[in-house]
Amino acid sequence: MIDEAHAIFVALEQSHFAYAIRQSVWLYPAANIGHIVFLFLFASAVAVMDVCLLGGLAATAPARLITRARGLAVAALAGMLLSGLILFSAEAGHLAVNPVFQLKLGLIAAGVVNIALYELLAKRELLKIAPGAPMPTRARIAGLLSLLIWVGVAACGRAIAYF
Amino acid sequence: MLRIVVVLAGLTSLVGAAVAHHGWGSYDAGKPVTVAGAILTSKFENPHATITVRGNDKVWTVTLAPTSRMVSRGATEKVVAVGRDISAYGYPSTVDRDEMRAERITVDGKTYEMR
Repeated sequence: MIDEAHAIFVALEQSHFAYAIRQSVWLYPAANIGHIVFLFLFASAVAVMDVCLLGGLAATAPARLITRARGLAVAALAGMLLSGLILFSAEAGHLAVNPVFQLKLGLIAAGVVNIALYELLAKRELLKIAPGAPMPTRARIAGLLSLLIWVGVAACGRAIAYF
Repeated sequence: MLRIVVVLAGLTSLVGAAVAHHGWGSYDAGKPVTVAGAILTSKFENPHATITVRGNDKVWTVTLAPTSRMVSRGATEKVVAVGRDISAYGYPSTVDRDEMRAERITVDGKTYEMR
């Protein structure tokens, strides 16, 4: 079962698509730079939302702050997915078994689950909060988890090269 | 709240599974080696160009630099083509005994820095 799953990634690494990425002098470095720039944008937007959830930036209504930051976060995440797919394809067979890469994917999944829980459990209440009012505990937990998870994702991304 | 606990528990088990896999993949700078011989295969690719070289003792996989850096240093695809004689100075991998990472290579009397 695991071997069969791994065969898919080996096939991806041996595909024309991945071969073209490796052969190009500029594509891999461009994807690498893009991945970092999108990470920077994503982290900025996420930090604004998380600091807001933790009770900071309280002069602005949370609904306003979060709605604005969210668009940038989603766009940057899409850019990271695209550039990440290019980087992954070039070395898919090796990366799929890299423990830090696996941890990174697990953390990304956890980050997405955290967003879903926030949407289900905290968002409705939060969007009604007036500027300066205290944050509900569940919002604070979601913000703290988000910060920890996404910093962990970034650290794993850099650490992949060393394992 | 319960769901958050479940997420944390899941994260903890992921970390455990990952750590159990294997350790650092690095190069031993304390035991530099020089591999000299003919180039058997050559992949001029990103993220690193790699060649295999028939050394005195065995066939080594020699990891070189990203292709853009190779080109800017003059170590083009033709310089590391199959059949050419090369001398590579670098550090052996602590994970794969047949792999080394080149600090510099010499082809036809000309030395190219890889770092």
